Amino acid sequence: MTAAGFLPHWPPAVNGFMVFGLLLLAGLCGGRLAATTRVLPAITGYIATGFLLGPGGLGWLDESMLAQARVIAEFSLGLIVFDLGRRLDLDWARHDRWLLPMGLAESVISFVAMFALLHLLGGIDTLEAAVAGTVGIATAPAVVLLVTYELKADGPVTRRMLWHVALNNIVAVLGITVLLPFIEARAEGASWNPVARSLWIVAGSFLLGYVAFRVLALLARWFGKSPGPQFILTVGAIIVTVGAAQAGRLSVLLALLVLGVCARNLDRDHRLIDVDFGRAAQLFFVFLFVLAGAALRTDQFGSIAWLGLAFVVARAIGKAAGLFALAWPAHISPRQAATLGLALTPMLGLSIGMTQPIYAVAPEFGARLTAVVASGVAILYLLGPIATRYALLRAGEGEPAARD
Amino acid sequence: MPALDFTASDALTFGVELELQLVNTRDYNLAPDADDLLRRATRDAPPGELKPEITQSMVEINTSVHRRYAELLTELHATRDVLAGHARKMNVAIAGGGTHPFQKWSERKIYPTERFLSVSEKYGFLAKQFTVFGQHVHIGCASADDAIYLTLALVRYVPHFIALAASSPYYQGVDTAFDSSRLSVVNAFPLSGTMPFVRSWREFNHYYDRMFGLGIVASMKDFYWDIRPKPEYGTVEVRVCDTPLTVDRAAEIAAFVQALASWLWEARPEVTADIYVTHSYNRFQACRHGFAGTLVDPVSGSSRPLADDLRETFDRLAPHISLLGSTDAFAALDRVLAEGNDATWLRRQYAASGTLPDVVRHQAALWAA
Repeated sequence: MTAAGFLPHWPPAVNGFMVFGLLLLAGLCGGRLAATTRVLPAITGYIATGFLLGPGGLGWLDESMLAQARVIAEFSLGLIVFDLGRRLDLDWARHDRWLLPMGLAESVISFVAMFALLHLLGGIDTLEAAVAGTVGIATAPAVVLLVTYELKADGPVTRRMLWHVALNNIVAVLGITVLLPFIEARAEGASWNPVARSLWIVAGSFLLGYVAFRVLALLARWFGKSPGPQFILTVGAIIVTVGAAQAGRLSVLLALLVLGVCARNLDRDHRLIDVDFGRAAQLFFVFLFVLAGAALRTDQFGSIAWLGLAFVVARAIGKAAGLFALAWPAHISPRQAATLGLALTPMLGLSIGMTQPIYAVAPEFGARLTAVVASGVAILYLLGPIATRYALLRAGEGEPAARD
Repeated sequence: MPALDFTASDALTFGVELELQLVNTRDYNLAPDADDLLRRATRDAPPGELKPEITQSMVEINTSVHRRYAELLTELHATRDVLAGHARKMNVAIAGGGTHPFQKWSERKIYPTERFLSVSEKYGFLAKQFTVFGQHVHIGCASADDAIYLTLALVRYVPHFIALAASSPYYQGVDTAFDSSRLSVVNAFPLSGTMPFVRSWREFNHYYDRMFGLGIVASMKDFYWDIRPKPEYGTVEVRVCDTPLTVDRAAEIAAFVQALASWLWEARPEVTADIYVTHSYNRFQACRHGFAGTLVDPVSGSSRPLADDLRETFDRLAPHISLLGSTDAFAALDRVLAEGNDATWLRRQYAASGTLPDVVRHQAALWAA
């Protein structure tokens, strides 16, 4: 034993707290730099910071550090997806009979456009093209919600955008789940029935979301409507649902969407209050996007970038076509349809949420999928938040100076 | 300098302006959807006129000109149904009430018309604070001098109008202890209050010319008085009422103003400058306590509960009520006097549900019912 044995090793070992704290602080600084441009949303700064610090940039963050941070990322995504689910008011679809057809048209036409591009023009295998097209249906919930919060946006386009995002995420998750058995059939060594697994994911996730809602509503009845206890209750329910979905190998995304949708639509006695995650959510947003940025690699912008760019364009045209096709009967003005289409631009990163089951059952397929759409994802990481910000400002529903 | 011409209209015709709240159905805060709602609803060409107001979470209904309470009510029901139908399709709701209980005025967006932008420029933060919701009742006048007389004679009844329509006990997230907190917002404007005591349209024109010449006003719209003549419509406009929680109540209150005008023009009670001695106090009492407020008579020096004076006024108006066909309206107002005004109803909802978003939810359901 040395005289200074009580001192830590040098350099001290990096632990999860340090990673979390430093990513937060660095992300915040990046966000502030982006905000000073008055054109870029803060989110672009968070992503850029993550990219700069991550393996694709300076390499200060390695895979093991990122793995430690992913637990918090899952929770962050849980908050966001729950909040999104709360925006899916089914009563609205009952009163506006064009709302659901419009959402489905936007999803289906964009899928067809992406699939046709990848399969017919890009020569990509049918199944890979179908999975990539399905992933592309979904708009990134975290991006649109963060831009909405940042601009304090509210109004018809914002409300409709969030409804569409909730719906196209549900469609995409269900689509992936339907395709999963076909992916698994190709993967070697699967000893279970792939169809049964799909059913398990869909039915189990719906059931988990519903049961979590029932428990939440029951506890809310007991605790009453004070915002403090309801905040903790809601966050607690979200964490448990994330954990249970992971433990049950279910879809975290679908279970939390269902929890949010139930909270909005099945709370007939209005026991639940509309908990505002406020600054707590912002904190996790920063973290989530720094991590998302860290997953980007420079080679994603390389040789297959043209296909990624075409993918992005086909997706945008498909979404716009779906919206414009039904705009007139739905009483949506052309300007609203255009801004709505633009606002739906952001796309999910492959590392989070939706594609987890694919990586779990068929890692090789997951890798090929990444090769197909990674450059599209990378482009949309850059353009998506800017497009949503621009769209909401053009719709007159956000305040450019409304930064916290 | 333009002289103010009074366009005479048929005496005792009447119409209503109602400023309404647009709220979202998620947390029931105000929703900035006026533009979209007006764009959609005007396609259906509802009767009367739909207009924007100072901030984007407000819309205004202007009814056509009517002679009978029943006609006015029918039109208000039709307009309400058109608006409520479109609001449902947009996932917003419409509510009555003089204030939104918990909105933050700083979050409001000015509706971008030339007039509203100039009001915002002129009054600073008061413009956004003006996101309060009132009912205006217009009474047709056969001559300009009749309008001046009526404007002054109705001043005594300002507390009565306030108490009957009061529906703004909550403001900026708190119970204000007032039945009508809305008027405190209006009071902040430099040209609020009452018309100066003038005897004729000539005298009024002289006053107006002076204010115009001094650069203080550019039109009659710049006077935010409780009651003002409206020369281009040929009416007197009563502006102190909160927007009630239902269009039915709005029509009942309009019927009350109409019957009062009918009686005042017939009986011609003398009006002296003394009305202004106790006006502010009486007005405050009605805002603060509603029907339980005290009414002080500046001439006799006596004080009495406002509710007693209202009952006596209703009795005095009886022959005019039946002539004008407003019996149903006054039966409903009698019930209000017995059971409490909209402020009482709102406080009951809060006591039962415990949150202000729930109160707005009930408010919106009541308006659309």
